[in-house]
Amino acid sequence: MLPNFAYTRPDTLKEAVKQLGSEEARLHAGGTDLLGCLRDGVFSAQKVVSISKLDALRGITKTSKGGLEIGTLTTITAVAEHPLIQSDFTALANAAGEVASPQLRNQGTLGGNICQKPRCWYYRGEFDCLRKGGDTCYAAEGENQYHCLFGSDDTCFIVHPSDTAPALTVLDAQVRIAGRWRKKTVPIDSFFVLPADDVQKETILGADDIVTEIVLPPPPAGIKSSYCKVRARRSWDFALAGIALALAFNDAKVAHARVVLSGAAPIPWRSMAAEEAIMGQELTPDIISKAATAAVKDAEPLAQNGYKVPLFKGLVEQELAKMKV
Amino acid sequence: MDTKKEELYFVHNTPVPETPAPGQKPEPWQQTQMVGQRRARVDGYERVSGTAAYPSDVILPKMLYAAILRCPHPHATVKKVDTSAAVKMPGVHAVISGMTPATNPVWNYRTWEGHLKKSKLFDPHCRFEGDTVAAVAAETPYQAQDALRNIDVTYDVLPYVSDYRKALDTGTPNIHAEGNQVGQPQTQERGDVAQGFAEADVVLEETYYTACEIHTPLELHGCLANWDGDRLTVWESTQGVYAVQATIAEVLELPLSKVRVIGHYMGGGFGSKGDTSKYSIIAALLAQKTGRPVKLFLTREETYLATGNRPSSHMTLKAGVKKDGRLTAMEFTAIGASGAYPAGGTSLLDWLIKDLYTCPNVRTHTTDVYINAGPARPFRAPGHPQCAWALEQMMDALAEAIAMDPIKLRLQNIPDFSQARPGNPPYTTTGYKQCLEEGATQFGWQQLRKKYAANKKDGNWLRGVGVAGSSWFLGNGFGPATIILKLYADGSVNLNMGASDIGTGTKTIMAMVVAEELGIKPEAIQIEHADTGTTQFASVSGGSKTVPTEAPAVRDAAITVKRRLLEMAAEDLKSKPTDLSLKNGKVFIKNNPSKAMPITAVAKLKQHHVIVGVGNRGPRPTDKTVIPFAAQFCEVAVNAHTGEVQILRFLGAHDSGRVMNRLTYDNQVFGGITMGIGLATTEKRVLDHNHTGKMVNRSWHEYKLPTSMDVPADMQSVPIEIPDDVANTTGAKGLGEPVTIPTAAVVANAIYNATGIRVTETPVNAVQLSQLLAQHRKEG
Repeated sequence: MLPNFAYTRPDTLKEAVKQLGSEEARLHAGGTDLLGCLRDGVFSAQKVVSISKLDALRGITKTSKGGLEIGTLTTITAVAEHPLIQSDFTALANAAGEVASPQLRNQGTLGGNICQKPRCWYYRGEFDCLRKGGDTCYAAEGENQYHCLFGSDDTCFIVHPSDTAPALTVLDAQVRIAGRWRKKTVPIDSFFVLPADDVQKETILGADDIVTEIVLPPPPAGIKSSYCKVRARRSWDFALAGIALALAFNDAKVAHARVVLSGAAPIPWRSMAAEEAIMGQELTPDIISKAATAAVKDAEPLAQNGYKVPLFKGLVEQELAKMKV
Repeated sequence: MDTKKEELYFVHNTPVPETPAPGQKPEPWQQTQMVGQRRARVDGYERVSGTAAYPSDVILPKMLYAAILRCPHPHATVKKVDTSAAVKMPGVHAVISGMTPATNPVWNYRTWEGHLKKSKLFDPHCRFEGDTVAAVAAETPYQAQDALRNIDVTYDVLPYVSDYRKALDTGTPNIHAEGNQVGQPQTQERGDVAQGFAEADVVLEETYYTACEIHTPLELHGCLANWDGDRLTVWESTQGVYAVQATIAEVLELPLSKVRVIGHYMGGGFGSKGDTSKYSIIAALLAQKTGRPVKLFLTREETYLATGNRPSSHMTLKAGVKKDGRLTAMEFTAIGASGAYPAGGTSLLDWLIKDLYTCPNVRTHTTDVYINAGPARPFRAPGHPQCAWALEQMMDALAEAIAMDPIKLRLQNIPDFSQARPGNPPYTTTGYKQCLEEGATQFGWQQLRKKYAANKKDGNWLRGVGVAGSSWFLGNGFGPATIILKLYADGSVNLNMGASDIGTGTKTIMAMVVAEELGIKPEAIQIEHADTGTTQFASVSGGSKTVPTEAPAVRDAAITVKRRLLEMAAEDLKSKPTDLSLKNGKVFIKNNPSKAMPITAVAKLKQHHVIVGVGNRGPRPTDKTVIPFAAQFCEVAVNAHTGEVQILRFLGAHDSGRVMNRLTYDNQVFGGITMGIGLATTEKRVLDHNHTGKMVNRSWHEYKLPTSMDVPADMQSVPIEIPDDVANTTGAKGLGEPVTIPTAAVVANAIYNATGIRVTETPVNAVQLSQLLAQHRKEG
């Protein structure tokens, strides 16, 4: 059952930012994650600030240079179904189509999807875990079958739950942020926060910051991108393992490579090792196999998530093979 | 008779069965007119449009909302409950707990095997996470929840045991004074098992696990309680209103006559709503204390903890077979977990081992243990899907070991009598052979086995097919059944039945039985049911009992009405009742059909306004046993890179006697398969064994039921229709549980066929298979 909170729906971005600056205020976009967190007592809110009136933050616009600006309130369904995203930013359309369930995609927003809270069941449940300000990570030696292989820094073992974030990362997206004192644009790969940097934060957003747009640069010539997600059931489930790819080829050789894993780490996990293994190479079975091995080389499996090592390996192999020209 | 009414109520030109003379047994139906058709539910419109008032929909004036404070620890002692802040909160009318003895009656946990454990409504020794500590009634649900947060409980947190496989280890905390074993381990033996293994050409042994499953019916558990003087009325989402009535009367020391329980509609139970829960008592006590109606529906999270589960099972099966396919011996050792109280942790877990296949030498040994987790409850075919997971995978492995088709091996070992029952009674009917053979033909078994033996690869995917079979313990229902059928002066009919329709289509089938006998349209029948105040006793709708128990009683009531009607009409027609027949709402003389009268013109009916027919369930065969049988088939694809599983097709061939309504029959088959796919591929209760013992996946997202994407669109139901005229006068056997028994094993066998990997533990999805495939590749 939801706790008591005040609810406000400002008319302007400025007012929304101002309202967010008040004590224990929480931003409400699609609400699919926020309401769940409030209901489950993951965190509390004295005030819920809805940005649903800010129509300027909704919609997909083509930039003059051939890129895209996607308003933060654009629904996941709108992203998945957009023809230009499907053709030129395929990884993002794929990823959006893999999010949750049709109902959640209709309600959830792109901004909300990259800002969502982790799904670790200790974090979501009645456990006073590190990420909630407690002093224990229950997952480290607990039920950790859905936890991370990389990037925990032996601190917190969440995986980043977003499907769209790894796709946006391979597409070199930028995130526009409006705050009380600033407006800024950051590359998406510096938007997310590792536990070592701040175990209680998933993004660099301050309390009164709002993601306003996600900007996609024009795609490099000949780029092919994709996103593939493996889960325990085929709808309404987060990734056990996922992979976003963006590759461009010179003849048959890889000339541009982005490999980003989901379900792997507390942030969308760029696998530089896999990228290095394929750069300048033809995607032969041997190279693909090397890249798959490289992708999991530094994995640090826990007691119950060891399956993710062969799973990621298999997934990298399967998806790189599909990219082969 | 008014022609319009005739058209309204009666099916035109449809003969009805001849009416047996008083004392004469009805003949089995031959060509049925109504029964067996594909008919939409009589209450389908109400259910779909939202006008059906489920117990959770009922609102009474001045009603309060209750909520339960539950122990957050799997094992703790309540030292103190301070409710002083909560009682002062706005809207709060009452707070009860173990500190208020007047509202803390004795509560018994008991099982049908006879285990009994006395506890209290609010037992200070909390043995599972979710045990009841206190309860509140307030003006709004929010105020009730706010009040719970302001109750201050001092707990003495105790060491717990959450892993049933460790429950009996030394040093494990005791949950009950006598230890963690529920009663004595059960051993059953026939023949000479050692000798049997010595005679075998092949002996295999394997250990299998099934994870604990939660029932998760769509309508939450709960009730609404209201007192009128000393008379209590409870609207409850239950599978059996009389069971709830009996428990409330026992616990609150009330006469049965003062407790009325109503449960017309209910949104699913699967066994979890067959038992009565503490919330019914709590609602009644709070209603009494406040003098207001009190509604108490649990949250989804509470139902994960406290309203039952299918216990996890750990089973080792050793089996021997001769090269010619004869089973020589089976030895089965299993552990199951009742939870914190006796709850049938190993109920029927060994039944299929003892009864499904001909085997002269069998030993089973089952141990039921306590753990600090919510008590189990019967879950659609208790014990059977787990046992089938072991036995039917073993049959698959034995067949391979002797190079025999797995269907042929099963066909070689089909008994025609029950080996596990005293006296070895023969089955009334057994369609197991036909289930396997007809199912295989319709599925294309031989062709697909050949095809995938030659080549399993389909791009990144490996394809395979599997089969498994089963019987179900109980095919002919249980408990008395009394039906009252009223034929009104205008020709319309009222059917009065105590049983609940738990979503299986009971009401529709009973209306079809009346329609068959009276030639009346099913939708013209008004049904009163599941109300202890207005209907007659019925046992819980569970155990696949409702159709074989109630339908014969309904038929009997309809025949009684018909007989009485013909007696009355005989006076008008100056004839003998046995010379009369009924058709199109008219009574006519058999050898002179031109002499007919509408039933509404029958003088005595006009005078009395109603004919009341009481029907009872006739005797059961005493020297035979009534058992449903099943064989299911599926085709899967497994991603060789990732271990993802796609179930492409399913086919269920079921012998449950006569098909009463083909539509609800197929619904049951598809629903059972869907539920079995959950056991096979997605469902698992996860307890935090290492830190807290708490359940970590108590939400509909984390506890993964299969979605429509996980269930094949291509599902086929193949009824093996062998009307069982010895079982009862309708020829129907139970169906609701058999449909889910073999499913998980079918999936496992198909995965084996596709990958060569024997998956012994549920659930099977990419989590397990990605690792098993990698190992398999390594081992070559």
